[in-house]
Amino acid sequence: MSAVPDTMTAAAPPAARATRTGAAAPVISVAGVSRWFGSVVAVSDVSFDIAPGITGLLGPNGAGKTTLLRMITGLAETSTGSVAVFGEPVRDNPPLYRRMGVMSEHETVYGFMKGRDFVRTMGRLRGVPDLERAVDRAVALVDLEEAQHRSMETYSRGMRQRMRLAATLVHDPEVLILDEPLNGADPRQRVHFKQLLMKLKAEGRTIVISSHILEEVEQLADNVLLIVNGKLAASGGFRAIRAALNQRPYHVRVVCDAPRELASAVVTLPSVDAVHVDPDGAVVILSRNVLDLQVELPRLAQRAGVSLRRVEPLDDSLESVFGYLVEG
Amino acid sequence: MGSVYRLTLRQLSGRWRLGIMAVLATLPVIITLVTLASDEAPSIWDFDTGILGTMLAGSILPLVVLAIGGAAFGNEVEDRTLANLTLAPIARWRIALPKLLAVITVAAPFIAVSAMLTAHVAFLGDTRATLAVTMSALAGVAMYASVFVFLGLVSSHAVGVGLLYIVIWEGFFAGFVSGVRLLSIRYYAIAIMHALDPRRFALADDTLPAVAAVVAMVLVTGGFLVLATRRLRRMDVP
Repeated sequence: MSAVPDTMTAAAPPAARATRTGAAAPVISVAGVSRWFGSVVAVSDVSFDIAPGITGLLGPNGAGKTTLLRMITGLAETSTGSVAVFGEPVRDNPPLYRRMGVMSEHETVYGFMKGRDFVRTMGRLRGVPDLERAVDRAVALVDLEEAQHRSMETYSRGMRQRMRLAATLVHDPEVLILDEPLNGADPRQRVHFKQLLMKLKAEGRTIVISSHILEEVEQLADNVLLIVNGKLAASGGFRAIRAALNQRPYHVRVVCDAPRELASAVVTLPSVDAVHVDPDGAVVILSRNVLDLQVELPRLAQRAGVSLRRVEPLDDSLESVFGYLVEG
Repeated sequence: MGSVYRLTLRQLSGRWRLGIMAVLATLPVIITLVTLASDEAPSIWDFDTGILGTMLAGSILPLVVLAIGGAAFGNEVEDRTLANLTLAPIARWRIALPKLLAVITVAAPFIAVSAMLTAHVAFLGDTRATLAVTMSALAGVAMYASVFVFLGLVSSHAVGVGLLYIVIWEGFFAGFVSGVRLLSIRYYAIAIMHALDPRRFALADDTLPAVAAVVAMVLVTGGFLVLATRRLRRMDVP
């Protein structure tokens, strides 16, 4: 895969963009937004501002990320609250889409089209001047020049995603909103995609990228919005989010030959907050410092003459990690 | 607007869909030929009410337009490609209008040729009668297209709802309850046909005046286009 080529230069240069959008003013403002479907609350009273750079919208599947992004892009109505992009309401405001590029999580392509035709059609719909050059640039950005004249039915999922990204970029938008864009991408494509996003960010664009995978967002985002159960659980730099995640209490299940002896010994450790023996004889430890526990537990067991058979985290799923932040 | 029009034409031009349309469109011609070849040839009145009124205007025409018009937005809502259009910086009427025009473009040739051949055969080449039947069928295409394009936006079961409308409202109620004809696309089309060739089609008592039929055609076509535009502005796009 080739290096990421220079991105769009036909529209305003980055410096002009920064001036136009204002260095300090938020590009996207979400104020008190909620959305419910019948009795189901998908998004609950969420507020935040997004400035230029890459913002990661992180949360487990079903957290409300897509609903929130659909409201930010104007595709869905808010039940309460408001969304503004460049200070303008985004809903029922088509001219705003000249400055926005949106890539939804669904594979919204026309199977009967060739890749280049798809990008050209999207460019034409967005009123792109000098269309063929813009299509050339967009297709080159996603490194699909060789496949551009093939029917999209013959593309792999990753290729379709990349061609959709080209269609999203063809009108050189200042704001990019990408819902789970790395779905279906292989490792090589992920590297290329990340390079491309960093380049777009360096040009002063505002990029919102959603994911349910922490590592994806960690490598890209300057700022993270953590959504859990439709609520904004945390926001800020990734290090602060990561620190909050590391401080959460862990439940660790230990199977050994002498559970009561181990339980009475382990409760003296400073890294342990609580301990109990469950009905099937396993010791369940609650710890806020699991790194220390990893070191102390084998030593303690050795001193007490207890043989450890299995040590496993009980709640290491992404959902439980996020859930801690909400409850906390 | 041209981009939406061309895109919709390609979406609606699947071989299966066009093949079924062609089969449906030939039915009135075949039945007319069979009827005329039988020992007891029908009167103008029988032909007017039976083949033109019931079969062409009341069944074939709406079915063909439903199959095409219901898919114009319906398929895009289903496969979620509608967002490609609604995320473009164009006014919503510039999406709805070319969709409607594309549906008319695809459906009109089938209906026009079917109506023209049926009338030509039945009226032994009478140009005025043939034109009257063809023009009224095209008016019906425009009205039904607007209704079914809107229906594709508001219901995920546009074809089913459309079939119920054709059978229950246009077929049953409009056929047997004279007052309902004031609100029937089928009877607007028939009224236009009668007005275009009154010497051939003796005006029946319950036929709408021509002016009223033309006004109704404009109101139905324009009204449902406005409703589709309004729906596009307010709906949650999947």
